[in-house]
Amino acid sequence: MVDYTKKRFLVIDDQKLAREALRTVAQNMGAFLVEFSSSYPDAIHRIRNNAPDVVLCDYILGDGRSGQQLLEELRRFNLLPDETIFIMVTGEQSYEQVVAAVELVPDDYLIKPFAPDKLMLRLDRLTARKEFFQPFYAAKRRNDHARALALLADGLKSDAGRPYRFESLRYMAETQLRAGQAAAAEATYRSVLEMAALPWARAGLARTLHRQQRLDEARSEIDPVVAAQPDFFDAADLKAAICLDQGEPEEAQRVLDMVARRTPRNYVRKRLLAEAAALNGDMKTANAVMQEVLANDSMPGAVTVQDKLAMARSQIGENHMLDAARTLALLTEPELQHLALPERASYTALLYLCSPSKGKTRFAGLRPALLEAPLPAIARCDVLRAALVLGDNELADYHAKSLMAGEEAKRVFPLVRALYSARQRADDFRDLQRQAALARIHH
Amino acid sequence: MQKKWDILAVGVHDTKNQLFQAEAMTADLERRLGVDLGEVRYVIESAAASLSRTLNAYRLFTDERALPLTPVVVADLLDEVALDLRQHLARAGLTLTVDGAVDEQWLLDRERVIMLLDNALQNAGRYARQEIRLSATLADDGLCLRVEDDGPGFDSIPPAHGGVGLMLAERITHLHERQGRHGRLALTNGGALGGACVTFWLP
Repeated sequence: MVDYTKKRFLVIDDQKLAREALRTVAQNMGAFLVEFSSSYPDAIHRIRNNAPDVVLCDYILGDGRSGQQLLEELRRFNLLPDETIFIMVTGEQSYEQVVAAVELVPDDYLIKPFAPDKLMLRLDRLTARKEFFQPFYAAKRRNDHARALALLADGLKSDAGRPYRFESLRYMAETQLRAGQAAAAEATYRSVLEMAALPWARAGLARTLHRQQRLDEARSEIDPVVAAQPDFFDAADLKAAICLDQGEPEEAQRVLDMVARRTPRNYVRKRLLAEAAALNGDMKTANAVMQEVLANDSMPGAVTVQDKLAMARSQIGENHMLDAARTLALLTEPELQHLALPERASYTALLYLCSPSKGKTRFAGLRPALLEAPLPAIARCDVLRAALVLGDNELADYHAKSLMAGEEAKRVFPLVRALYSARQRADDFRDLQRQAALARIHH
Repeated sequence: MQKKWDILAVGVHDTKNQLFQAEAMTADLERRLGVDLGEVRYVIESAAASLSRTLNAYRLFTDERALPLTPVVVADLLDEVALDLRQHLARAGLTLTVDGAVDEQWLLDRERVIMLLDNALQNAGRYARQEIRLSATLADDGLCLRVEDDGPGFDSIPPAHGGVGLMLAERITHLHERQGRHGRLALTNGGALGGACVTFWLP
């Protein structure tokens, strides 16, 4: 039996009476300290600064947010230690559908009403599970993937690991993905699917296929998951990413728009939506969404240089040059000084586009580096666009060829074609495409 | 249809929230005053369970969605069901034994299976003389969950007055489907204790 007199609890609920009820339950178990949080931002702040041993979180948090969204944000930004027990408390039996489907799940959930001894029983079991996986958590924190996988493999073979088989397999697949072993992760997810058609395993399989650039197969796995599980938002994000790589930005935007409406405060998703809209040529949506992100994403450090560049990009796309210049002026001196080459390339290109007098010299000064160093696709697109406007065909074609020869060719194809067409160079672009295709064949 | 469901679900949710507060207050009183209010808490939990059963019945007979299956450690499941009811049955002079060393995970709808077993045990509690047995075994490539009592057994099979509980039990068991096989419910007389025996087989 676990000694709860040494455990710190955090109760998260926006309703005062419900918080009191949960506190009473925790105290009746002898909890050492019970703290409260009545709002989403406060909960994140408390957990980030001093993670408790146990979190009891209500599913409905008010203000359009849910405990599930909170959990996903905590896990996504690694704010919740693996050792902390997170229990979702709900009167909604429909929450089971969420837990059965999604990848980011709580350690357990409890349907109200429940007695203190039921909570204690569940916590005892969860504590035992956490203890079983503790060596794995430590290896995971050190990014020691080999050790983590070895521990999980041993656990799967042991008697002590029998009650944790599915968790072990899920952790194994996730670790294999982190370690860049997409094929191994694929095999692990397939082994789970042989036992049961679990949506999170099918989404995981889609993810491994996506990583291996087997896009059609990835799409055929993720489509039915998204269709059958409307609350599995991460699956929708994955589908959108696959669609973008397949060169289907319209479908990506449609899917992301649908889930973003249901999770209006998920700004990671909003950024994906802005990207899809921009690739789809829908600069009005990209602009509006990025404005919302910059204005409302209040997580410390959330608004990044990349966000400001994305905002400026969409404003330029809409011909709002003055607004774009103002956005770029938001970059602070320290930010400008510490820009890595990809961001510097984007910054100078976008600055030239919205403020030619300010940006021309800087862009010209960076030209030698832009003709040598490899750049990510988004920076190449910015440079290409600026080069086309400047009339620097050598620079533009260099980056267009690299884009068409790379893995993101399908993703950026509609945008690049549109940029060349706008400069009456559609035929030149077709030639570049042909050259890239020939290079791929001969490779 | 979704609107009717939402209206029902919101009503049930709000009521269960209030029952939760009542449960917490009762547990607090027990602790502070050192009195046994277990039966009061049992009644509150039964009221909540009854609401859930009604909502479930509505959903299961109108919604085509598959059951949410999650991996559940079978031994833990039995422990939890026993926790819900052991004291209540003891107050009625009945002994509940749990016999199930299936210490591995099975994919099932945990909340609904707990509801099934709670219901079966409560029914057994009405007819048992002294003893009720809850067990889990592996058979026929599936999981057998069994509730047996030492009472007079079923008057007829199927029982004349099966009610919502039996209908729900059959539906929930049937909806547990894996690899083309569906769960089954069986009612028999005899069993290990000589009385009624309810067996849920889940693939």
